[in-house]
Amino acid sequence: MEVSNGAEETYQKKFALPVDSEHKSTEFRLFSVAAPHMRAFHLSWISFFACFVSSFAAPPLLPVIRDNLGLTATDIGNAGIAAVSGAVFARIAMGTACDLFGPRLASAALTLLTAPAVYCTAIANSPTSFLLVRFFTGFSLATFVSTQFWMSSLFSSKVVGTANGVAGGWGNLGGGATQLIMPLVFNLIERIGATQFTAWRIAFFVPGLFQTLSAYGIFFLGQDLPDGNYSQLHKSGDKHKDSFKKVLYHAVTNYRGWILALTYGYCFGVELTIDNIIAQYFYDRFNVRLHTAGIIAASFGIANLFSRPGGGILSDIVANRYGMRGRLWTLWIVQTLGGVFCILLGKVGSLGVSVAVMLIFSVFVQAACGLTFGVAPFVSRRSLGFISGMTGGGGNVGAVLTQVIFFRGSHYTTETGITLMGVMIVCCTLVIMLIHFPQWGGMFCGPSSKGATEEDYYLSEWTAAEQDQGFHTASLKFSENSRNERGKRVQPAPTPTLATPNAYV
Amino acid sequence: MEINRAIVATILLSCLAASCYAITFSSLKRTLDLDASVKAGQVLKAGEAKITVSWKVNTTYPAGTESSYKTVKVQLCYAPISQKDRGWRKTVDLLKKDKTCQHTIVERPYSASDNSVTYTVKRDVPTATYFIRAYVYNAAGEQVGYGQTTNAEKSANLFSIEGVTGRHVSLDIAAVCFSAFSVVSLFGFFFMEKRKAKASN
Repeated sequence: MEVSNGAEETYQKKFALPVDSEHKSTEFRLFSVAAPHMRAFHLSWISFFACFVSSFAAPPLLPVIRDNLGLTATDIGNAGIAAVSGAVFARIAMGTACDLFGPRLASAALTLLTAPAVYCTAIANSPTSFLLVRFFTGFSLATFVSTQFWMSSLFSSKVVGTANGVAGGWGNLGGGATQLIMPLVFNLIERIGATQFTAWRIAFFVPGLFQTLSAYGIFFLGQDLPDGNYSQLHKSGDKHKDSFKKVLYHAVTNYRGWILALTYGYCFGVELTIDNIIAQYFYDRFNVRLHTAGIIAASFGIANLFSRPGGGILSDIVANRYGMRGRLWTLWIVQTLGGVFCILLGKVGSLGVSVAVMLIFSVFVQAACGLTFGVAPFVSRRSLGFISGMTGGGGNVGAVLTQVIFFRGSHYTTETGITLMGVMIVCCTLVIMLIHFPQWGGMFCGPSSKGATEEDYYLSEWTAAEQDQGFHTASLKFSENSRNERGKRVQPAPTPTLATPNAYV
Repeated sequence: MEINRAIVATILLSCLAASCYAITFSSLKRTLDLDASVKAGQVLKAGEAKITVSWKVNTTYPAGTESSYKTVKVQLCYAPISQKDRGWRKTVDLLKKDKTCQHTIVERPYSASDNSVTYTVKRDVPTATYFIRAYVYNAAGEQVGYGQTTNAEKSANLFSIEGVTGRHVSLDIAAVCFSAFSVVSLFGFFFMEKRKAKASN
């Protein structure tokens, strides 16, 4: 078993898993809870799961809530949009917070700050207050960014797609699980003796407590990086405390981040939209019972158990042979197929076939989410958090856009809306063709003929002055460790020289 | 021959079964007169207020009309203003799919003498505007007549019910306490983090 080969360290740290020179784990062992790598994995997916449960806790209880609060269909639609729109900016802010303070504090802070919104759902008394609590609870979906950032900090490029995919997928599972959990809790409380309109309120304390407890778990049991927490490493000088302006600049000027933000809106955004509308769709179009519609809705979210992780694993497998170019091709193919099945879903007229198409659609669209975060960790090293935040935020923008364009009011029937959304997925996914890494290539072009290396790309984010002070050492190690993104089929690109690297856009 | 008879029987039976579920509201006659203790515009409190409803067959109908009536069901029904923009309360002519009346006041075997009920508005009745309607059913469970306290346009004689909020002081206190606990925990975390960083140096 390999041990850390960082000979420059003044002390040898023994890790339970094999690690690379950055002390990132090169293996992903699902059933281990070894600190810091696998423990952080379990803490982060559980807390993200809790946030998803809270954010989508209201939809399954709407038949009771809408009578208690006198909601109209418009009120419900607006609250659904509010639930996913808060996270647009929260995800970007979260990315920055991770870059500056570390994922452990950032996610514990967000989870604790949004827990009050969940508790206060129990005392909502009007359409406006209902919209507000759903809006603020939705901010907690930004823990997605800290999850992906944390996994990207602890797992090496060979397994980062897998780690990101499983953590993201099992967190998203919360959106499906809540459609089963909340009605169960509600029925239990009703049976103990509360009336309907009180029972749903008490039920909301369950996701709230779950969130609070998961934040405690993260704070006390988690660790930002293999070598310690940001605050310790900042103080000891082992980690340079970066400047917000620089992090922002390098994220915003990297066009690949914007492209991923757009395409993520058409896999994850579509997933959120479907979470909000699919139960009603089956209830209205096929006249199933509300209980049955809830189970169908839950199965869409529960596919996340294997489909998003599957996307991440697929990304890593393809990269092993074909490198980054393989990751990009696979992402484009899978997401486009997701769009095709979405078009089909709106057109199918019988219940059984519709459920089957929905399940196939869910697998492709969720796998595309996993594949996206097989690419995102490589877009930037200095601004990893911000890029993750932008991509994640783009996902929520997609959810807002699709709900506003296709599922608000009665302009389109729900089935037409679903088909048109599928067309939009296929069109917007085409931009993946524009992503090009000078050191690895893109979908249609190979690496730059000027012989760019990973070091050239990642070190171009640091000025010469910053490099003199040694702030770029993490990027240097990352460049070395990401060399397997060249794939096995292509001729090896030139190895780095000691000369000052060129700046690459 | 046997098979032909079996097929015909199946078709007839399924027609019968289908007809059980194809009854429309517009095909029903308003054979009942309802009398309710609620006045137009009155606001009742769920869980407290009482409504007294009585019903009898309208005298303009022939005497034997009620011989087929086996069950009577009296319900609270949503007025149009409470159905607006709320598809889950939609009025549909096909009675199987109609969602106008969702709260049952009483359901009992029909009898000419036992024709009144005093009902305490249940705590799960939401805030809305209502009227009262009674359906009578025959032995097969099909609607064969109705009566209601309002007119055909559902614009007259409507009353309101004020539902319970479901909120309790203890819930309010619990929500505030748990929220405060979460925020205070966060400050505790930051404080501890700072101390740990200082101590590790």
